[in-house]
Amino acid sequence: MAALPILFAFLIVLLDVLRLRGLAVRAVFLLGAVIPIPVVWLSNEGSEVVGGWARKAGIEVALTETNVPFLMGELVLFAFVAVYSLSYFDPRDKKTPKVLALLLLTHAGLLGAFIARDLFNFYVYMEIASVSAFALVAFSGDKGAKGAAFKYLILSLLASYLFVFSIGLVYMETGYLNADLVSETAAPSRELYAAIAIAAASLLLKAGIFPLHGWLPDAHSRAPTPVSALLSGAVVKAPAYGMLLLFSSLPVGLTLRTVLMGTAIVSIFFGIGRMLIANDAKRFLAYSTVSQMGYVLLGIASLNFVGAAYYAMAHSIFKGGLFLAVGSISTKSRKLGEFGYRNAPVIAVSILMLSLAIGGVSPFIGAYAKGLISSELGGWWKLAVYLSTIGTLTSFTKLNYHLMRRLSPSSKGAWKLSSFGLALAALLAGVLLGAGINPKDALGIAIALGLFAALKASGVLGRSHPAPSRDVGREVNLMAMTLVAAIVLLMLLGWFTPAGGR
Amino acid sequence: MISPEQAGIAIMLVGIYGLMAKREPVKLVLSVNVVSLGLVLFFVGLAYSPGKDVPIMPTDPVDPLPATLMLTTLVVDVAITSLALAIIIRMRGDGE
Repeated sequence: MAALPILFAFLIVLLDVLRLRGLAVRAVFLLGAVIPIPVVWLSNEGSEVVGGWARKAGIEVALTETNVPFLMGELVLFAFVAVYSLSYFDPRDKKTPKVLALLLLTHAGLLGAFIARDLFNFYVYMEIASVSAFALVAFSGDKGAKGAAFKYLILSLLASYLFVFSIGLVYMETGYLNADLVSETAAPSRELYAAIAIAAASLLLKAGIFPLHGWLPDAHSRAPTPVSALLSGAVVKAPAYGMLLLFSSLPVGLTLRTVLMGTAIVSIFFGIGRMLIANDAKRFLAYSTVSQMGYVLLGIASLNFVGAAYYAMAHSIFKGGLFLAVGSISTKSRKLGEFGYRNAPVIAVSILMLSLAIGGVSPFIGAYAKGLISSELGGWWKLAVYLSTIGTLTSFTKLNYHLMRRLSPSSKGAWKLSSFGLALAALLAGVLLGAGINPKDALGIAIALGLFAALKASGVLGRSHPAPSRDVGREVNLMAMTLVAAIVLLMLLGWFTPAGGR
Repeated sequence: MISPEQAGIAIMLVGIYGLMAKREPVKLVLSVNVVSLGLVLFFVGLAYSPGKDVPIMPTDPVDPLPATLMLTTLVVDVAITSLALAIIIRMRGDGE
């Protein structure tokens, strides 16, 4: 069933590499991008063991209510990214077929990761997606892109190996890799707790949550525009899905979950803070990803898997759209205040719609997903989510304020189409899922506008100091230390918690 | 006598130390390779569990599954190492 599109994508990748002719490659690329949509559409919900083996021995894939939103978000996003990248990458360039092939590989890897119900199978597909992502970041001509790709590669790889190590621990304790079978046999024990701590920390790194986000702003802002959209929109969702798989199958203690929820809130506000002082448009959006992934983690850590899945879908759609839209008017300069959408009405409408969507204003998809996330939370957490919504709206007011006053170089039709398409998708998905119009949102927007004016007057905004140019090696050292510190802290947390408290 | 699992974990820690202490890109790549070798040793040691029954082969004490998993990890390792080295060469070209 859903394993089919992956095979198909691989086949197309092979064709792509063999044939270096313009039109054929483009046609095959588009086919590979959209073929999985009908396949997923036609396959019914339920699980299947690949190759018809017994469930204990085989690899299980499934479409469930928690991974269908992930899949939908990825499919919609990739379709528009495909259209965009066909006109973004020059067809006469010799590199282009390789880039397209890598994009398809990322697509295949993500789809495979999202349908996996088996921990190791999930890891393999997540690696396919992220290895292609490293190469795609390195393809960018931007200065510093190679360094960013290197940092991303080393850290993500270390996190992956630690994740596999924890899978090994889980296997040692339970004897299974299948998430459902693991959940049947898992009994709380010290080894299992260590496994959860290591896996959680390494997936946090790969998802770019606050203390471990170091690689993300560079990699996401230096990549070519369609790749940034795919990275921010979909690639960081794969580890989030892994965490969902892990938390749904293993006994995760209350203390650990509370700590992770706290981390999520810190990540949300840290992202907003960096957005408010950012000068570079794509870095602004990259920090927004750090902040938005916090909501997904909040959903997962409060065991609200459906909410997290819908938020991930919503974020795929609007963040992908924002990257495409902002990328298509910032071809000359990426500095805020040097370009804008004054003479590009389609882009202007898309960015405004997407900004409202990301701020959780109804009737867009963001409102529905945010409602799901906060529906399961207690009083204080809910307040934090509400405050962060206002923060997000404030920072996007800043983006629109800068864009509104400047002109942009003209952009291609396909670029406008994909940006506007994703904006429409955000609106339609919201309406279809039943996010009614909520008059209280007007209050939020008003507060955000006021807050922005106040911040603007106080002159805090745009004070981003140029990043200190440490060399790549030192940055990797620092981030590896942070990861190890995070693992040790999470493990100690388990050590000092009484057995009954977990 | 130290068991293969413990040796694997120790080797992984050596690799992680390398990642925290060395700054040359090539050494970082090597450290990641050391981590992966430790991981492979850990899994191979894990497979040998006499007296336990194993889902796939209930009669045989050596579980084939971890070894198979490690084949995949080795493939990932080779691919990543070549990619990382290529990126390092390009980084020199960028003048970083």
